Amino acid sequence: FILMLSLTLGTMITITSNHWVTAWAGLEINTLAIIPLISKSHHPRAIEAATKYFLTQATASALMLFSSMTNAWSSGQWDITQLTNPPSCLLLTAAIAIKLGLTPFHFWFPEVLQGSSLTTALLLSTAMKFPPTTILLLTSHSLNPTLLSTMAIMSIALGGWMGLNQTQTRKILAFSSISHLGWMTIIITYNPKLTLLTFYLYSLMTTSIFLSMNSTNTLKLSTLMTSWTKAPMLNTTLMLTLLSLAGLPPLTGFLPKWLIIQELTKQEMTTTATIISMLSLLGLFFYLRLTYCSTITLPPNSPNKMKQWSIKKPVNTLTPTL
Amino acid sequence: MALAATLLHNAYFCGRCCRHKALQPLLGPLLSDSLSKSYSSYRRPGSQPEKKTTWQNVDLSFKKSIEVLKTQLGMLKKETEDHLAGPEGQSLTHYMLEQTRVVWEFRSQEDLNKWVISSDVEIGGKSEVYLKLGRNNQTALLYGTLNTEVPRDGETKYSGYCSMRAKPLVGSFARKKYYDWSNFNSLYLRVRGDGRPWMVNIYTDPYFSHQKDDLYNYFMFTRGGPYWEEIKIPFSKFFLSSRGRVQDDQHPIWLDKISTVGFTIGDKVNGPFQLEIDFIGLLNDRAHTEEFAYETYEKNPPL
Repeated sequence: FILMLSLTLGTMITITSNHWVTAWAGLEINTLAIIPLISKSHHPRAIEAATKYFLTQATASALMLFSSMTNAWSSGQWDITQLTNPPSCLLLTAAIAIKLGLTPFHFWFPEVLQGSSLTTALLLSTAMKFPPTTILLLTSHSLNPTLLSTMAIMSIALGGWMGLNQTQTRKILAFSSISHLGWMTIIITYNPKLTLLTFYLYSLMTTSIFLSMNSTNTLKLSTLMTSWTKAPMLNTTLMLTLLSLAGLPPLTGFLPKWLIIQELTKQEMTTTATIISMLSLLGLFFYLRLTYCSTITLPPNSPNKMKQWSIKKPVNTLTPTL
Repeated sequence: MALAATLLHNAYFCGRCCRHKALQPLLGPLLSDSLSKSYSSYRRPGSQPEKKTTWQNVDLSFKKSIEVLKTQLGMLKKETEDHLAGPEGQSLTHYMLEQTRVVWEFRSQEDLNKWVISSDVEIGGKSEVYLKLGRNNQTALLYGTLNTEVPRDGETKYSGYCSMRAKPLVGSFARKKYYDWSNFNSLYLRVRGDGRPWMVNIYTDPYFSHQKDDLYNYFMFTRGGPYWEEIKIPFSKFFLSSRGRVQDDQHPIWLDKISTVGFTIGDKVNGPFQLEIDFIGLLNDRAHTEEFAYETYEKNPPL
């Protein structure tokens, strides 16, 4: 309980800060609070995930502090919204990219999600992304657009490509998170409000997926295939949510993609818009494959795990219908 | 008996440098964690003296490097195609419907080359172990003599073990590749032993170096008869040990990053041993519902 409180505290401190040091402090509190949550189950893989998370986030925080210090050295003030020194801007972009898990700094993300339990993975991919995104929003006018767009396009590409034949559900969600982050960051220098919208919708959809997977305890694809016997309603809503994450038109997930493409074309970046829509097809492929596994084909197998015979907690079936 | 076998693993890892001479030079620099060197300069009686240093072994010819580059690029291409095809290189429907899979078969010499044999010669003992193809090239025969005479170096208390271990998978450009066995829940072995008890060890991916001695073990009891035995060992029964010592904090093995599988004999009985293996496979036993066989109670119950 104390850890949850520290997480909220850290997020609040970062969001409401206008001095670099408070922002950094909030991020550090978040990192430190979630480390025990990741390594709660004393499994070597969990401890490995916690170590990797700590190392990457600590490096990112240090880089961020360094960039704010160089900015303070050159401009004499620590205000977050006034980042004027170009090297600091570059460093800050890199630091936030490491924190969020954008390519080429994404290597830690699937392993960390795989090593943690499903609820902790949910926290890692939604709540822990919030403070760095707010920092990006506050500094959006002074970020380096070329670097950001390159990283965003690479994230979308890589998230789609690497997610293609994963069999572990947490890793699949990690790669989907990476590609959504790419969508979020590509529009941030032009219209930060769209980034916020994408982030909110993405966290809502991911929360519902993680919670539905948590109630059926699906850690791998084969468990997903057999969950239709246990909670058929949950399975259909899971399918809809997955397709929404993929960005298919009548579902909510299409909205941020449409608005982002519209904004990019307004900014004369049509080729970028085309490229990212093509790349998100890769992502669509594996989401479709997940839904194919879980709902469209009905495998005749029965699940082996005893845990699945009873639903762990009452499941919120309303959120997936959003 | 089994506990003694686990205690013998103490020295098993020290002699790992011996098996690197069997690997290709490409893998040498990657896997040469010569443990015996890193601990002390005392060379154990069983290991061969280093005649040539690692850097003297390097071959800098241009033609050879072009060939190596071509093979690596070919492997990379194949890996990309496998990535597109689906999990583990097979299509998704195949993965979904798969219930059994044969991982290691012994039909030719190159199948035998995928395994490494070692014994307590590394610590100065006198056991012998050999691996050859059985009759009609259908099986592998692991045979030898176990000798429990303790080497006289003042610090070893037990001796007498022999083992066979699979070489880890290597991808293009000498990257590590792992097996993904998450679809299965038992190991299926078709063996013909001689009544001696063996220990099966599974080694999973150690990302950080403090985990490199973590091994999951279980026992395999063989009958002596002329009939083949099909032994099914569920993965829920494997317990964790590190350098031969059974750990306190047990957890079930995670099957999504398996590196190697090995067999060890060390039952403190002097004499010859023989194990004929037809194949090693995996099975998804639908009737097996146990998740973990040990410590199923909650370790820190909330008050």
